[in-house]
Amino acid sequence: MIRLTIDGQEIEVREGTMIADAAARLGIDIPVYCYHEALGPLGACRMCLVQVEKMPKLATACTTAVAEGMVVHTTGPQVDKGRKGVLEFLLINHPLDCPVCDKGGECFLQDYTFRYGPPQGRFQEPKIQKVKDGPISDLILIDQERCVLCQRCVRFMDEYVGEPELLLEGRGVETVVTTVEGRPAQSQFAGNVIDLCPVGALLAAPYHHKARPWNIEREESVCTLCPVGCTTLTTGRDGRIVRVEGRPVVDRNWGWLCDRGRFGFDFATHPSRLVNSRLHGREEAAARTTREIGQWLREVVAQEGGEAIAVVMGGLHTTEEAHQVYRFATEVLGTRRLVVSRDVPGYVPRGLNGTFEDLSAADAVILVGTDPYESAPVLHLRLRERLKNRRAPLTLMGVAPRNLSRSTLPVETLVTHVGQEADVLAAALKEAAGDHPAVAALLSQGAGIARGIDPTQVSQLSRVLREAERLVVVWDGVEPDVEHVLAALAQARQGQTTRVLPTFGPSNWRGFERAGFDARFDALTRVLEDARDGKIRMLILWGADLLKDYPDRRLVEQAYERVEWLLAEGVFVPEGAEHFDAVVPGAAPGEVYGTYVNMEARLQIASPSVNPPGQARPTKSYLTAWAHALGKPFVVDEEWDPYDDASGDLLPEEPLPQDIEAIRAPDLPEGGVELLVSAQVWANGIPSQILEARLEAAQIARISPLDADALGIREVGVIRVESAEGVLELPVRVDEHLTPGRLLVPLGVGALPVNRLRPGVVKVQRLEEVQTP
Amino acid sequence: MLDEAKAILKGLGTTFKALAAPRDTYPYPEKRREYSPRYRGKHMLAKDEEGHELCVGCGLCEAVCPAHAIRVVAAEAPGDQPVSWTNRYSVDYEVDLIRCIFCGMCEEACPTNAVRLTPFNELAAYDRQSMIADKQELLHPAIRK
Ligand code: SF4
Ligand code: SF4
Ligand code: SF4
Ligand code: SF4
Ligand code: FES
Repeated sequence: MIRLTIDGQEIEVREGTMIADAAARLGIDIPVYCYHEALGPLGACRMCLVQVEKMPKLATACTTAVAEGMVVHTTGPQVDKGRKGVLEFLLINHPLDCPVCDKGGECFLQDYTFRYGPPQGRFQEPKIQKVKDGPISDLILIDQERCVLCQRCVRFMDEYVGEPELLLEGRGVETVVTTVEGRPAQSQFAGNVIDLCPVGALLAAPYHHKARPWNIEREESVCTLCPVGCTTLTTGRDGRIVRVEGRPVVDRNWGWLCDRGRFGFDFATHPSRLVNSRLHGREEAAARTTREIGQWLREVVAQEGGEAIAVVMGGLHTTEEAHQVYRFATEVLGTRRLVVSRDVPGYVPRGLNGTFEDLSAADAVILVGTDPYESAPVLHLRLRERLKNRRAPLTLMGVAPRNLSRSTLPVETLVTHVGQEADVLAAALKEAAGDHPAVAALLSQGAGIARGIDPTQVSQLSRVLREAERLVVVWDGVEPDVEHVLAALAQARQGQTTRVLPTFGPSNWRGFERAGFDARFDALTRVLEDARDGKIRMLILWGADLLKDYPDRRLVEQAYERVEWLLAEGVFVPEGAEHFDAVVPGAAPGEVYGTYVNMEARLQIASPSVNPPGQARPTKSYLTAWAHALGKPFVVDEEWDPYDDASGDLLPEEPLPQDIEAIRAPDLPEGGVELLVSAQVWANGIPSQILEARLEAAQIARISPLDADALGIREVGVIRVESAEGVLELPVRVDEHLTPGRLLVPLGVGALPVNRLRPGVVKVQRLEEVQTP
Repeated sequence: MLDEAKAILKGLGTTFKALAAPRDTYPYPEKRREYSPRYRGKHMLAKDEEGHELCVGCGLCEAVCPAHAIRVVAAEAPGDQPVSWTNRYSVDYEVDLIRCIFCGMCEEACPTNAVRLTPFNELAAYDRQSMIADKQELLHPAIRK
């Protein structure tokens, strides 16, 4: 530890800390442009000048490491003169077009110039003209004249993301930020440079000229498009959400977002957004719909009691809304059939759930089934940051039916067959701790063969399972047996930490569970089977879209056909609209206050920045109206919150699961192409006009170049997929990274109804090839 | 008797004096008063010599207005028909003349000298709605005769 004095205050910090960070700890603000803690020191802008005693000249606080006994002054005439000079230089070629600049009012160049800068520049020559409002991509604009050449954007893409799409070109005053060979930046993390840019050089195209910082509602919110639950600032203007920015949380996250979350906010104003009630497929006045629904509810409750009603919670609802539905269902209707909409069968008990802190502290991470780049993008960035920390090496392995390795994140993957992940993990566990009673119980039915997998790889995995002090497993929930292996693994590794991060949705499923719903897949299946068998007369979907999501489409169809009344609340009309007796428009995220629980089991608060459009109403409006129709009192408990005093913003800890269920070795297919499903944020069925082109490009099945060759598809084509359950026509494209013998289909896309088939071996046939110009 | 006649004559005297004295009232609207050149009346949005709108829709007038009388909606200026001298302009600009207190702060805040308070002060209407001056109205200001 090193002691130093900054502005008369003493502080003790770790060796190697920069003066800027030490000052920040004391709450002393040093102006910076180029420095960002996540990117490390560079010393390009010279804005952070401070005076260090015994140093002949002013020093940059962001590149000068602390030293014992150092005395630093962050104010004083010398420092002021230095900063004034730097700002005068920065402004020499600056266009000073604040009135037309979107950053005006929240710009560090403005702020620092007001605080430290010269009132007038002495430079009389004409300013250098560069590109204004040029494209970095279809989503990001650059104004090269405003750039202060801090290089944050370039370094972020290059070093942090590992996709070097931006660069500096030219020399001296002619230097500009541009893209590699003028090609548009494609990275899904490129949007972060908008937040990183301290001035108005990099701008969000959808927000261009839309608003000013003083005429907006900018609220703390949470992205709900994937289970990472990134913290955001959501900007509303004139009743529409116009911008989403990352929101850093001290000591927890840097405020990165992926472009799906940053620009995909417009689903709430999409033309397909439901804004009117629908009765038997026709738009109807809200009052009339409420009357009808009340009538049906009365009838069912009176004749058969509440148990003939089941409620499926899904969509992008808050935990509070789920709790309101829970109370309505139990107290007013009197049913306990309360389940969560699921698209994959896996489940992670709370006792196993880890946090991002566990990830930062982990010495080994195993990705099971999931590629975070596609399913939870910001988690990919976290993994990369963890991997780049050379002080503490990280072992990164994968067990999945396809190779998970990427140039930005190399993963030693054990490529399994579809449905073999649990068995392979069990085999490694057998080798690592075969005699542990929990493992023995797990393997009692003969699992753990790992047929066809290289034994040295299995041994390597078993070594990780045995030796890792802090192990984190990231799992996509596609193969349900993995849950039991993970439970046994956690038991066998008593004394070492074993934590799991689930990447499956709905993004707030843990919050629904907190509110009282059963989030297990089996519970949902039971409800659907009961509905098919006529034991349920009314099915209420709260935000859920089962035809799109549930893995067995046939069962959902049968259930829909059999139930007498089918109701839905949601932001969009669910698939199979013809089945629904009534659909009522609900409020979307950004329109209600509430909490969301992310994949860490962490509660995060979101405040609304707009009102629900049209006739859309928050959950409680419907519940109170329906309860009124039933003649029962129902008062929404506004006081209820999902927090627990002891566990803070995490949901309460639970003990490790004790009962270990034995798993069976899977029947493995011989040859053929295997159908494989995966959740992908760019193809999750939530529409966006801003991202339309990118979403369309992602909503396609993928095959490996080898299989494509065999089928005679060069880039894009249409294939016919056949299995025991049926036939499906799918558009496909060639994916260089995909393991041969696999057909990858994103989950939850209406146009790719992969839930007509089951994962496993399928017959594939080419229908046509589509030429792309 | 004499006292009363004196009082009447005195009264009439005042009347006749006033008849000959210079007038304080104006025969408005046939004749109008000259105002100070700094008089602040209804707003206008100015254009430059080429007819381009000066307003860039920065919203500073909206922000500074103590009466919340101004509403600005900015947008990218249409490229094909140059209405603005730069790439940003206001698609919508409204002043609520009932709310306005004619303080002139908007005029002072405007970086492009686009919004100006003219001497025009004949502000009357039969309903509140028509007291909201929209952009077209402000671009074609009425002249005070
Ligand atoms: S564009 Fe912005 S972030 Fe990039 S170098 Fe210029 S000022 Fe820095
Ligand atoms: S990673 Fe997920 S939660 Fe974060 S911004 Fe992207 S979609 Fe939203
Ligand atoms: S004159 Fe004053 S009150 Fe009237 S619009 Fe301008 S700033 Fe607002
Ligand atoms: S009138 Fe002036 S201050 Fe108001 S928006 Fe236009 S340019 Fe900005
Ligand atoms: S912040 Fe220190 S040199 Fe840029």
